[in-house]
Amino acid sequence: MEGESVTAIYALYSDPDHVQRAVDNLRAAGLHDRDIVVISSEPIEEYEFSARDKATWLFYAAGFGGVVGLVFATWLTTMTQKAWPIVTGNMAIVAWWPNMIIMFELTMLGAILATVITMLVAANLPKRGPKLYDPEVADGKILVGIENPPSTSVQSIERALLSGGVARLKKIGARP
Amino acid sequence: MAVDLDRCTGCGACVTACHAENNIPTVGADQAARGRAMHWIRVERYFEGEFPDVRVKFRPVMCQHCDAAPCEPVCPTYASHHTSEGLNAQVYNRCIGTRYCANACPYNVRFFDFFHPQWPKPLHLQLNPDVSLREVGVMEKCTFCVQRISAAEIQAKADNRELQDGEIKPACAQACPSKALVFGDLNDPDSDVSRLSRSGRGTKLLGDLGTLPKVTYLERETQG
Amino acid sequence: MQEEITRRISDDLLRPLVETSWRFWLLVAVLGSVVATGLATWFYQIYNGFGITGIRNPIYWAFYITNFVFWIGISHAGTLISAILRLVNAGWRRPVTRCAEVITVFALMIGALFPIIHLGRPWLFFWLMPYPSERQIWPNFRSPLVWDFFAITTYLTGSVLFLALPMIPDFALVRDKSTGWRRRVYAALSLGWQGTTKQWHRLESAMQIMAIAIIPVAVSVHTIVSFDFSMAPVPMWHSTIFGPYFVAGAIFSGIAALIVAMAAVRRFLHLEAYLHPVHFENLGKLLLMMSLLWAYFVFAERLTVWYGNESAEREVLLVTQRGSFAPLYWTMIVCNLVIPFVVLSLRKLRTIAGCVTASFTVLIGMWLERFLIVVPSLGHKYLPYSWGTYRPRPVEIIITISTFAAMMLLYTLFSKLVPIISIWELKVGEHPFAQETAAEAGNHRLWKANP
Repeated sequence: MEGESVTAIYALYSDPDHVQRAVDNLRAAGLHDRDIVVISSEPIEEYEFSARDKATWLFYAAGFGGVVGLVFATWLTTMTQKAWPIVTGNMAIVAWWPNMIIMFELTMLGAILATVITMLVAANLPKRGPKLYDPEVADGKILVGIENPPSTSVQSIERALLSGGVARLKKIGARP
Repeated sequence: MAVDLDRCTGCGACVTACHAENNIPTVGADQAARGRAMHWIRVERYFEGEFPDVRVKFRPVMCQHCDAAPCEPVCPTYASHHTSEGLNAQVYNRCIGTRYCANACPYNVRFFDFFHPQWPKPLHLQLNPDVSLREVGVMEKCTFCVQRISAAEIQAKADNRELQDGEIKPACAQACPSKALVFGDLNDPDSDVSRLSRSGRGTKLLGDLGTLPKVTYLERETQG
Repeated sequence: MQEEITRRISDDLLRPLVETSWRFWLLVAVLGSVVATGLATWFYQIYNGFGITGIRNPIYWAFYITNFVFWIGISHAGTLISAILRLVNAGWRRPVTRCAEVITVFALMIGALFPIIHLGRPWLFFWLMPYPSERQIWPNFRSPLVWDFFAITTYLTGSVLFLALPMIPDFALVRDKSTGWRRRVYAALSLGWQGTTKQWHRLESAMQIMAIAIIPVAVSVHTIVSFDFSMAPVPMWHSTIFGPYFVAGAIFSGIAALIVAMAAVRRFLHLEAYLHPVHFENLGKLLLMMSLLWAYFVFAERLTVWYGNESAEREVLLVTQRGSFAPLYWTMIVCNLVIPFVVLSLRKLRTIAGCVTASFTVLIGMWLERFLIVVPSLGHKYLPYSWGTYRPRPVEIIITISTFAAMMLLYTLFSKLVPIISIWELKVGEHPFAQETAAEAGNHRLWKANP
């Protein structure tokens, strides 16, 4: 029906080929890539529809975290050793060999923490509130859907999703 | 410190005096049999030769206060560190009892309080008020009687004069009947201990380990 | 057909979470009581003083440090298997990764407990942490024990995250399959995971970075543990080979622990369809390789000592090979080299039972190896007057046994609450989708041009 307003509209597929066709049809229907949501219970690397969103800043974030850790460790060791210079075993007050060990460990810790935090932020976790999901995804189905579609496009979206292949169409928050 | 092995008779007066001066507990026969006696200075006894040509050699061993002490860098809490006067300090209330210093010490002169120290009557009456008591779980060792060193320094400062050589005598040196133990300032080239350390009879115990010990053992070269 | 596979995998691997038999409760009760005994013994030790152990002058480190090194060594299972196999994209790793990562996390936790257990004043262990104290004193960064603290903290953090990240999609699966309070708990644990392509990409990128990062951390951790020994001037400790020697030994014992854990999981959770003999065979071959590598390091070290003729070191060498420690030493050689070599190099014997047998002997042998590194050297340092012998006391034996029980208990509880095999990773391996050709991929780009 024209003018229908729904929170989300999606279809469930068993075969990633159908998913690819559905995604292409949705693009043909005029939808942006970023509006098309594809949800699966396992990563599907080999298809084009999963190739978007691949570029990430995660590696740079890890590097940045490592640098932060390194700087902190250098500061911690040299600052504390100079603040109260205590002689031990004829060694230098600022002992670089042992300090390097601390610097290495905190560099790695910084990289690891930065990676995890960035990943959680980038993946939008933890995600509270309503989310587009269907329990059938847990059984291996792949979900392709649009959240908050403009009411004028609902019909064309339906057509695009159904023409993808064998599918089950569902709507959330449909108002008659 | 200089230890003259040719004068040492192995009497053990130094050990007893050290126990008395530094509030070292006696651990009891059972614990001593298990190797936990805490003799900050001990007299090592070695037999040489076959009967009847046996010779006994005595060597008093205490903390060598090494200039490159292996016990110092391994302490995670700085409880074992080097003072500006050149002593190896053991700070009891900083010690958490990892016992790494005792493992690192090649001379085995560091001791652990396995139980809460106890002084069976009447030994509790002779505790030295100048020396703090240790609790269970900390390491302790010879301090060259740092309480006597501090007392002499404070007195000298109050009298507005320099310290004299021989003014400071650790308990072991004071008690030795043959004057085998000599203590003094190695920075003063004229002191007794400096002269003795330069003697041709002088060696360092385990000197090849690179610990730079400050105790010189004097021994006449014997044949064979 | 693929849906059937998917459902079968989910059902099989979620069954341990859903079905609980009386045997589980019995096991938990038995292990729990052993662990409780161990804890009570530890408090008894703190209350009565460290003297109730067998420690004495000059052997100030014995069972507890042996256990410390042993458990930290076991913790290298997860990293090396999981991270390295992930990086080289070995497909057979999929059912194995989480089993391994769990061992790492729990072994690290137990291992990290021992430096506290062996302290004379354990309530002050926090002085190892760098915090601004009112005395303005900081830890001594020159001490290998402080390096231990940093290394183990980093490794524990990294391992927990390395384990937890791939658990998120599996928690989402459990959430979908459960009801009631369980659903709420797992919904919270899964952090609202949906499974969008973006989330999968981020998760996999993060896993890649973690796998790359955790390997140098793991190598550094056991190297730093070895520095606890090699930094001290003790005969046969002050050796430059200790770093690589310990890392190789750690990987060696880690793989053995993994084989044992996998066999137990396979047997008690009925996962015969997922953990195949080939997994055990592959790990068995790795175990054999590590056994030879370990033997190579031991030979290199002992040959150098024997040849060098330095009197104190030679004394320690001989006391282990011919003296009072000889029975333990030769048991170790048999357990670590002879039995694994025979069992694992003959294909007929390299069955699951064979691999598990070899692994058990390796675990015994590696524990003995740690003991033989620590105690004989300390008992025979440079001054013969101070040599001594060590006998363990009941305290140390009880605490040692209770840590093994603790490991088994933690593992049991974990496999009850979380799928022990990573379900989503297994699914990816079970039915990889057909590879697209370049031409087909090009077709899609035409559609993308449409705004």
